[in-house]
Amino acid sequence: MGATEKAVIMMAVALPTMFVVIGLFVGLTKMLHKSFPAEED
Amino acid sequence: MDSLLVQYPYLEELLKGILGLSYTHVIMWLIGGLLIFLAVKYDYEPALLLPIGFGAILANIPHSSAVSTEPGAEGFLITLYNAGIANELFPVLIFIAIGAMCDFAPLIRRPSVMLFAAAAQFGIFATAIGATFLGFSFPHASSIGIIGAADGPTTIYVASRYAVELLGPLSVAAYCYMSLVPVIQPPVIKAVTTQNERKIRMGFENEEPVSDTTKFLFPIMIVIVAGVVSPLSVALIGALMFGNVLKESGVVDNLSNCAQNELSNLVTLVLGITIGGTMTAERFLNFQVLLIMALGAVAFVFDTVGGVLFAKILNMFSAKKINPMIGACGISAFPMSGRVIAKMALKEDPTNFIIQHAIGVNVAGQVASVVAGGLVLAMIPALEKM
Repeated sequence: MGATEKAVIMMAVALPTMFVVIGLFVGLTKMLHKSFPAEED
Repeated sequence: MDSLLVQYPYLEELLKGILGLSYTHVIMWLIGGLLIFLAVKYDYEPALLLPIGFGAILANIPHSSAVSTEPGAEGFLITLYNAGIANELFPVLIFIAIGAMCDFAPLIRRPSVMLFAAAAQFGIFATAIGATFLGFSFPHASSIGIIGAADGPTTIYVASRYAVELLGPLSVAAYCYMSLVPVIQPPVIKAVTTQNERKIRMGFENEEPVSDTTKFLFPIMIVIVAGVVSPLSVALIGALMFGNVLKESGVVDNLSNCAQNELSNLVTLVLGITIGGTMTAERFLNFQVLLIMALGAVAFVFDTVGGVLFAKILNMFSAKKINPMIGACGISAFPMSGRVIAKMALKEDPTNFIIQHAIGVNVAGQVASVVAGGLVLAMIPALEKM
């Protein structure tokens, strides 16, 4: 497999994976923020 | 001259510096001098460009003892390289310092900004594809693409693993372009946005203040999730979040302060001069380096466009409009990118303050660039097997 094909596959796999991971971060951060509101400190 | 050397053999030892001198060394002195000039005169990433520039001069003095590879008499730059770059220690230590300096509160208040940061990593992958068209191997092309993360330590980390011979030019390109964010981003943003879009105001509705408990648990959560998804990213994101836990725990202020000051300063100092030490003429003066510098700029442009266009696409489906300029802050050049975009908004409308939002996206860029680095680290060996 050529270098360009590998780079294209990397983009096709890594970019959507990034959005999934970041989406997971977004959801979990929202949950965390809701679970420990500022008033409780 | 040869007969003189035969007659007086000690002359060869005395004059070996002069005899070994070539025009390539002088060119490298000028390049080192240029980096020092940019650092001193224009304040372009001085903490790194100055040591890199000086290291480049030291490495290009003929028979320099600073970069001697003679067994038992290794130069101090070689010793530092083996101690901190070859084993990826210095970039990881820098991440501890960065983590201790980061305040993730703006990101926690509005976590959706992390999506802009993800979009702004587009340049990494687009540039890697472009680099393969120019003849670079896949591992080298991926390491060049990482310049687009606008994250020096991640660039060094990936390069030291997959493109050791390109470490010097890759690091110089990464830090030069990071310092050129105020020059590169504004014209690109203007090219892909309208004046009305740049004037969009952003409020703070439904944004609750962040508790200390959340700020403390956030880095632990991120490191576990990112680590499970991409175990190769644990060293980078783990170090970043460890630094942040030191800060947010509130019980080890001395360690947090040490990470932010002494550790940061010391590692930056040795990292810079060690990278400079890798910039020997034979490695640096070739056409590949010119291509790397050009591709680095392309990576920054693609990142900026990726982030801005993603914000514009979201605006098409959302009633609550986002100023698309904040998408450009998704790169890791913190806090410079956030400040540049906030200034641009003020220039369009002196009453439009978007700095909080811009900084939130910019902080998210720190996390996203490390995640992207981890994914690239995982993908290179996996695809090389195919």
